[in-house]
Amino acid sequence: MIKKLSIKSFTIISMFLVFISSGYLFYQSFLDTKNNTRILLEENIQFNILNTKYYLEKNLNIKNPNRIKPYLNNIVYTNDIIKAMTILDTKNNIIYQTTLSDDFKHDHTNCISISHIIDSNIFKQNCYTFSIKLFNKLEPYYYHGIIELDSNYLNIFVKNKIIKYFSFFLIYIITIMITLWFIINKVIIHPLEKLRQYAYYSTKIPRPFFINEIEGIRYSLEFTFKRLKKEQDELFHLSTRDPLSGLYNRLSLIERINWLISKGKRSKNNFAVLFLDLDNFKNINDSYGHNFGDIVLQHISEVLLNVVRDNDIVARLGGDEFVVVLTDVKNDKEILSVLKRIKIELSLPVTYEQYTYNASCSIGISLYPKDGITVTDLLKNSDIAMYKAKDLGKNNFQFFEETLQLEIQERMKIQTLMIDGLENHYFELYYQPKVDIKTNKIVACEALIRLIDPKTGIIPPDKFITIAEENNFIIPLGDWIIKQATNQLRIWNNTQFKDIKLSINISIVQLNNNAELFETIKHNIKGIDISKLDIELTESVLIKDFDEKLKIIHKLKELGLSISLDDFGTGYSSLSYLKTIPFDTIKIDKSFIDDFENNQDRSFINMIVAIANELNIEVIAEGVENKKQLKFLKDIQCQQYQGYLCSKPLPINKFEKLFLNQL
Amino acid sequence: MLVFKYVIGVVMKKIIFTIFLSLLVLSSCSKKEDKELKISTNPWIGYAPLFYAKEMGYLNKLNISLIHNISLSESTKLYSMGKVDMIAATQHEYFSLLKIGEDIVPISLLDRSDGGDIVLSNRSLNELKSADKIFAYLEIDSINIDIIKDFIKHHKLDMNKIEFINADQVQIADLQINKNKNMLLVTYVPYNYTLEKSGFIQLASTKNLNSIVVVDGILINKKVLQDNKEKLLKFKQIIDKSITEITKNKQASYKLVKKYLDNMPYNEYIESFELIKWENIPSKEILDKLKDINYESKYLLK
Repeated sequence: MIKKLSIKSFTIISMFLVFISSGYLFYQSFLDTKNNTRILLEENIQFNILNTKYYLEKNLNIKNPNRIKPYLNNIVYTNDIIKAMTILDTKNNIIYQTTLSDDFKHDHTNCISISHIIDSNIFKQNCYTFSIKLFNKLEPYYYHGIIELDSNYLNIFVKNKIIKYFSFFLIYIITIMITLWFIINKVIIHPLEKLRQYAYYSTKIPRPFFINEIEGIRYSLEFTFKRLKKEQDELFHLSTRDPLSGLYNRLSLIERINWLISKGKRSKNNFAVLFLDLDNFKNINDSYGHNFGDIVLQHISEVLLNVVRDNDIVARLGGDEFVVVLTDVKNDKEILSVLKRIKIELSLPVTYEQYTYNASCSIGISLYPKDGITVTDLLKNSDIAMYKAKDLGKNNFQFFEETLQLEIQERMKIQTLMIDGLENHYFELYYQPKVDIKTNKIVACEALIRLIDPKTGIIPPDKFITIAEENNFIIPLGDWIIKQATNQLRIWNNTQFKDIKLSINISIVQLNNNAELFETIKHNIKGIDISKLDIELTESVLIKDFDEKLKIIHKLKELGLSISLDDFGTGYSSLSYLKTIPFDTIKIDKSFIDDFENNQDRSFINMIVAIANELNIEVIAEGVENKKQLKFLKDIQCQQYQGYLCSKPLPINKFEKLFLNQL
Repeated sequence: MLVFKYVIGVVMKKIIFTIFLSLLVLSSCSKKEDKELKISTNPWIGYAPLFYAKEMGYLNKLNISLIHNISLSESTKLYSMGKVDMIAATQHEYFSLLKIGEDIVPISLLDRSDGGDIVLSNRSLNELKSADKIFAYLEIDSINIDIIKDFIKHHKLDMNKIEFINADQVQIADLQINKNKNMLLVTYVPYNYTLEKSGFIQLASTKNLNSIVVVDGILINKKVLQDNKEKLLKFKQIIDKSITEITKNKQASYKLVKKYLDNMPYNEYIESFELIKWENIPSKEILDKLKDINYESKYLLK
């Protein structure tokens, strides 16, 4: 753990250390000066005593001591630190004393020899003694001199020195500290505080700093923040824009629509959400490759941006789905105007390398607030409307309506029911008899799938088969039908029902997935009389990829199955099918039978039956509901019929009962 | 931000450490240096080893400085003033300083005068004996006094006829023969050469004054000796080394020390060595004689 210390605290500690160190230096300097002064004073005293001693040894005459007085007086009067000098004889009697003051009391017991002056403290030692060597002829004798120091002068001298040094120290240290504080504050604390604020708020960039290291940090921060801002902008762009088209992405679109909703709540402004889906875009990718697909998408993006106003919003949700939000929409005319422009612009071909493509799109429109007051509702409803537009034939547009919502809900319900249906046995095969017209006996039946809602009952096939085909649920469902039907044939085998031929319908989706279909049928027909299984195909399944379809039909035929052409006469009714495809049976569509009294329709029925007979193909009339129709069919030698005249589609038990009753 | 604070923290610690280090260095600077010792000398051939050591830089290495006076008397005064720590002096100065209370001891002998201290006169010994008045010039506060006393006693001169005139050796050396005066001079090498050239004749010297011994040594305050024992032992070694080197190569030493000996001629320099005997390693004879005169020898360094 790093112990934190503010720069101010650090500065105070540093200044305290500077104070201590300066004080120490000043004290040492003072001691040094005091010592030098001591030496000078000592030398002064030594010099004066040396001269005095020399003078006295040469000139002191016991008989006439007055000779030495002026000399001694001069020394004392000209020297501030020497207060007095006293000369004592061999018996310590005063020969001469330089001061006449009455209060001057001489006590030389505390005096020390001048030779020890270096070891003494001159500022505390009041007096020194020295010897005066005199000779009586060749015999020496000694007088003594005493030199009194002016302790008052020395004390004042030392005090003045102390005051001077202390004052100078105070001025120095205060100046240094103020200067130091100012400099540190100016060049360190203030810049660091600015850097802290910059690092925290990253707003105002501080100006370059004087201290190199701090400037280095400032420069690094500025550089880092600039880089971060750039990366932030890039990330923001990436998060809000579709990378391929440069349009707003889903997230950004939702954000902007929410903003429009908020604005709309206050200003009562309306806006329209246009959900665009390119028609058959999957084919572009499959046929021309993804590069061309991307070019088309970029072209569409440009078109959309060009046709809308600056304040409108264009977004790509992904794949070939685009959303255009037209803001401040006053009426439908404005929307229609944009739709028209989109259609015109999109109709222009897109060319890339050798490929050319004419784009079209289906557009669903939802309006705020009429069709939704949330983003989710508006997008969902425009999506619903778009699907409706696709259902209506593509390259179209559709405003959202409440009924569409109900349709979708119904569709969703059926979808859910279907998904659960296989496991929960909501599906059931119903059997509609096929009656031999000559014998009026049931000879075959068509298995028809029924979805039974546990709550509402039977759901007609036209409501769920299309949905099942759209989401490919028809494949597992078709497999289930094949399995159920073949099982039924297996059950009927060696029973009274063993001669009944059973037809099942195969969807275009199943047929497109022909390999799997073939395997499924092949797998399920084991153990049954294959001649009793019939496959019914509508004309529409044959339109696309005819050759592929023909192959699977042949393969099924090779297995021993019979093939029926269902709803003949409603589609292309190409006679070439009859020539090319080895159908065993033709089923005349109910619409002809319903209108058999119409001459034209009668002619058609006649013609179909005649051709079939000529081609040796069995004919079954569908939707026979009355005896007149039956009589007509009998007259023209139609072999079988199917319809309510005999029975509607029945559950297996009822069908079997009906079959047994007619025996 | 954490890294930023960490960096600032580390920098602060370094600065505080530097300041403490500076204070430590400052405090170490104030440590007292080796004390300089001063030795006072005067022109005397017996002190040539000291002059030689000074010129060779031996003394500087020991932080010993040399002060050169004109006479022993001045050297003694300087010592008594506390201006020097040591003096090169005879036993006379030693006893004088003891008498005025100085706590002084000899740490090394240098030489013994063997003709180096001389009695000169402008008269013959007999003329002096018969003279009514004799003017004796001498440095009274020096070994001169002991020599003249011994001379007077030895030649049975009448003390009352003699007027003693105190003068330092420079003044004595300047004296000219006064035919009207009976002059008696006490001097020593190298001052004697000038005087003898002026016509003064040698009546006696320490070579033939057997009753007196004149010995030179290094005198020092006892406390200074205790405080600088190591240094003084080295100083003693330097003295011995210098004497050896001077003895071996007088000519080389002459060039170095002549300025301390009043620029005496080389031949006089050589002759001067005949007038002393080195006693840096004292003989039993000299130690016995010193004992007789109460000259302290127990502090002599070896």
